[in-house]
Amino acid sequence: MNWRVVATGCWLVLSVVAGAASADPVVVVSAQSPLSTLSRDELTDIYLGRLVRLPNRERIVPIDQVERSPEHDAFYTAYLGRSAAQIKAHWSKLIFTGRGQPPRALGSGEAVAEAVAANPNAIGYVDQAFVDERLRVLPIE
Amino acid sequence: MMGKAGVTGALMVLLLQATPGWAEDPDTPALSFDGFGTVGAVHSNEDQADFVSEPFVSEGAGYSADVSARVDSRLGLQLTANFAPRHTGVVQIIVEQRHDGSYTPTVEWANLGYAVTPDLTVRVGRMVLPTFMASQHRKVGYANTWVRPPLEVYGLVPVTNIDGVDVAYTARGHGLNNRLQVTFGGTDIDLPDDREVKARDGFTLANTLARGPVSLFASYSEYRLSLELRPLFDGFRSFGPEGVAIADRYELDDKAFKVLAVGASYDAGAGFLTGEWGRTRSHSFLSSSRGWYLTTGYHFASVTPYVVLARRVVTSNTSDPGLSAPQAQELNATLNGLLSDRPQQRSIAAGARWDFAPGVALKGQFDYLDLDDGSRGVLINEQADFRRGGNVCVLSLTLDFVF
Repeated sequence: MNWRVVATGCWLVLSVVAGAASADPVVVVSAQSPLSTLSRDELTDIYLGRLVRLPNRERIVPIDQVERSPEHDAFYTAYLGRSAAQIKAHWSKLIFTGRGQPPRALGSGEAVAEAVAANPNAIGYVDQAFVDERLRVLPIE
Repeated sequence: MMGKAGVTGALMVLLLQATPGWAEDPDTPALSFDGFGTVGAVHSNEDQADFVSEPFVSEGAGYSADVSARVDSRLGLQLTANFAPRHTGVVQIIVEQRHDGSYTPTVEWANLGYAVTPDLTVRVGRMVLPTFMASQHRKVGYANTWVRPPLEVYGLVPVTNIDGVDVAYTARGHGLNNRLQVTFGGTDIDLPDDREVKARDGFTLANTLARGPVSLFASYSEYRLSLELRPLFDGFRSFGPEGVAIADRYELDDKAFKVLAVGASYDAGAGFLTGEWGRTRSHSFLSSSRGWYLTTGYHFASVTPYVVLARRVVTSNTSDPGLSAPQAQELNATLNGLLSDRPQQRSIAAGARWDFAPGVALKGQFDYLDLDDGSRGVLINEQADFRRGGNVCVLSLTLDFVF
């Protein structure tokens, strides 16, 4: 028996299991953001296009992760209680009545972290691993 | 009122001029192209009349076809431009069965918008009226849970979009979102028999108040409608004062058409419950009607089963004794034909939506229509053997997509 192979196999299985059960993404803003906390309703309204301005009257720039990414599905399920399909149906209502376009979607947690760090009015969600000193995790009440 | 072709042409030129460099906000694409569509098949067990989803079309399921793709199938293409943070433009073209059975593309939306402040937007051009909660996206199958909005309410009002001006104001505070919209304008509606309903001096005032999962909606609309039916009403007038009184009572000649609607919706993510009630008033052969529906459903992962209960009745008279002169019998019969032609039915529908892939949904829906005595319900193309007041079963299957 090659113990190294077994150990590697166990590690792989464990990391897949751990990955599947990993914590939900965290909501982040730039360290310079005027936001300190958000309610769940406010976060929902921001990502459904109903809340578009910060208390300082600046335009909020929500940043999304691309559809079919694990973060996208986990974020909408955990924080908004809605599936990716429900979110797409919601935005279809706004797009085809000329009332708005969905948030810009980026292809990786790293790209979202960069975009949020670069804009004090931005808000995004990333895996905890992408949080660095330029970002602040926003508690969602 | 501006000419339809003129407005559309001007908007197209403006939209095509929009280049990516114009957008000041790098996060908002300057120009986006989106589309939606439905591929549908409908079967009705009533083969002496057609089941249709829009009142002014040529054919449907039942008499014209055992299985009809015409009822729900459509394609919509939209170009949205954000010239600058404050200027927007939208052109949406829909291909679907028209009044004459053709599939000539029609312009559903074509307007230019200007954000006076981030909360106040003015749009000029063609807009879909917010008469009911889902009116503006009723044709986007993917956006709706049902196969189609309940006809008992959404079929009450013949005017769906207008050429004119629209002002929308949103306010937010204490967790409340309020959107107030006022639309002014007019339009011409083509009927299957090549006649035209003219809607003039129209306005719709709609307000939506939302807090978390709860939305409350109310709207009021008023137009002046005209439909030329000269031979009939001139015929009545030729009989003297008694005939003139009948003609003035029922002729649709610059007559007010008033619509009041209220609705409420609860959608917390998993389960939803929506109800709407609407009332129309018209001192003409169009009659006054009332409709309501109640719908509920639940999202089980990618499958959403739902049920809909609906009712539509005429609240004014559906017959008139007419003139007593024996020579007026034919005129009386034509008038009573018009009066009894207004839909009255109740229905129950059950269906399910399956979101099996991103941007694509498959829906199946069964409708049981119970037509009121003497009414054709929402069916058209009645044949000689059609029995008014019966029951009709309709089975629909649709594939809805967005891109």
